[in-house]
Amino acid sequence: MALLAVNQVSKHFGGLVANHEVSFDLYEGDVLGLIGPNGAGKTTLFNCIAGFYPLTHGSVTFGGKDITNLKDFQIARLGLARTFQIFQASGDLTVAENVMVGSFMRTRSRSLARKSAEGCLDFLGIADTGGAMMTELPVAAQKRVALATALASDPKLMLLDEVGAGLNPSEIEGLIEILKRIHSERSISLLLTEHVLEMVMAMSHRVIVLESGKKIAEGEPAEVVKDPEVVKAYLGDHFVKRREEDGDA
Amino acid sequence: MEAVKNAFDFADMPKSELTIAGLGMAFLLLFPVLPHSSFAMATMIQFLMFSLYGMGWNLIGGYGGQVDLGKAQYVGIGAYTTAVMMIRWDVPFWISTPIGLALAVGWSFIIGYPLFRLKGHYFAIATIATSLVLKDLFEVWDFVGGARGLELPLKGDFPNWLYLQFREDYYYFYILLGLFVLGLLVVNGFRHSRLGYQLRAIKDNEDVAKSLGIDAHWSKIKAYALATAYVAVVGSFHACYNFNIEPEDIMSLDLSVLIAMMAMLGGAGSMWGPIIGASILVPMKSYLGDWLGGQAGLAGLDLLLYGGIIMFIAAAQPRGVYGIVEAVRARRRK
Ligand SMILES: Nc1ncnc2c1ncn2[C@@H]1O[C@H](COP(=O)(O)OP(=O)(O)O)[C@@H](O)[C@H]1O
Ligand SMILES: [Mg+2]
Repeated sequence: MALLAVNQVSKHFGGLVANHEVSFDLYEGDVLGLIGPNGAGKTTLFNCIAGFYPLTHGSVTFGGKDITNLKDFQIARLGLARTFQIFQASGDLTVAENVMVGSFMRTRSRSLARKSAEGCLDFLGIADTGGAMMTELPVAAQKRVALATALASDPKLMLLDEVGAGLNPSEIEGLIEILKRIHSERSISLLLTEHVLEMVMAMSHRVIVLESGKKIAEGEPAEVVKDPEVVKAYLGDHFVKRREEDGDA
Repeated sequence: MEAVKNAFDFADMPKSELTIAGLGMAFLLLFPVLPHSSFAMATMIQFLMFSLYGMGWNLIGGYGGQVDLGKAQYVGIGAYTTAVMMIRWDVPFWISTPIGLALAVGWSFIIGYPLFRLKGHYFAIATIATSLVLKDLFEVWDFVGGARGLELPLKGDFPNWLYLQFREDYYYFYILLGLFVLGLLVVNGFRHSRLGYQLRAIKDNEDVAKSLGIDAHWSKIKAYALATAYVAVVGSFHACYNFNIEPEDIMSLDLSVLIAMMAMLGGAGSMWGPIIGASILVPMKSYLGDWLGGQAGLAGLDLLLYGGIIMFIAAAQPRGVYGIVEAVRARRRK
């Protein structure tokens, strides 16, 4: 049985079709990449799955349970965590307190929450930042705090929206390492979007390609990148033609 | 129990703050035996009352970031419950106060449920509106004395602990000081509780909070109810202390704004904020108000001054006086 099943999901904003009849299954233990150019509808699909937007059509099940009409916080409690593409860090909480908010999803006790938060910060290699304010950290560390917070809520599945955005190549390498450990050591399934391919390609067992709100391809990363439709979506028609010409020569 | 442990846990506070708090507490304990004018005593009582109002407001307005400008309606519910029950049925303060608290908190759930569907300015305006509507209702409701309000009868038997009637002000002072300490402990427990963390997360970023399983709407309602409890109890106390209550005095927009100002000036979302605010604003209000009221044509000028202070705070240091302290401390650390 699929851990997450997305069935014919459509999302319209007025006349704009942001997602059109998107379907896919994600199984326990999967690392699934969701790629597509900017504006393809990846973030919107995340918002639909996680209950932040009501669907126009379609349904979503998680762990066999229909979550289509559940509220965002109810879905989170079932074990579906998400991070945000645009993450605004601000004022009142320290890094450790931020992560504790994640832990408080599973316990009322402050001492237990603190212990679990410390464990998560340690897991992500940022144990030394616990006392800092979010705004004092560089972007790469802020992203790790967001991951630690999601991790602290002890999810079964994490939806990660462009966690690699704004990071340099060595930071991306570190991030891939971390995500692999989250997947293997904590047995958490991952669904990640990226409009830069390298990270998703390096990690995913399977990839889904969105373009203009529609799913245009699904398969193993190496196959999908060869798909002319995908290349076209990313690089435009002339690139496909050039490749064809190259192939002819 | 962890909740009790949390209330007495001050380990995360800087030593300097605890020292100042200790000295302040010693001063408060000794104040009645130090030489003082009765005007100074009355001002100190106002200081304690407004500290408590502000502490309550701070739970939802400061930690939760929901600017509430309608707290006076709950002062009214507390005060009127105590006054009406005493006048009509001879009910003592200690019984009418929990009833007033329960009524106020019940009303806060009814009001809070639709109100917290609103965001930002709309929420603030709606709190003003509900408070004023309730005040208007009380002004035309004969059972509670209409616009003339209520006068509490003297029960004799001084010092009368049952009905909170005393000849000497220090009785009122020490009762309030007890509430003040209790109030502080509850805030300290709240700050360390799951709800306290969740509320700050909501203030930080409501979407992130929801993604962490927080029912933001319900969390706000709960904090609002707790805030209301503070305000209602002080309202009940006010009725006994003042012997006279009128809608215009205790349910006015002026009072709601003043309550919000305590925490905003002192530092919204910090534990000491409302107390710092009250220690600045209350003396200013009574001494300056007294003096200005005596000068022909200058009455009301103090209100202008408060407006100026709030505008300055909003522009220069949104985290209030305590924010300045924190900024200085952060710079020293570097
Ligand atoms: N809340 C919204 N209201 C209206 N249009 C939106 C909203 N969110 C996204 N869109 C539109 O939906 C389309 C898909 O956006 P998005 O899901 O953010 O794409 P991606 O994450 O793949 O870059 C875009 O055309 C975007 O402008
Ligand atoms: Mg996006």
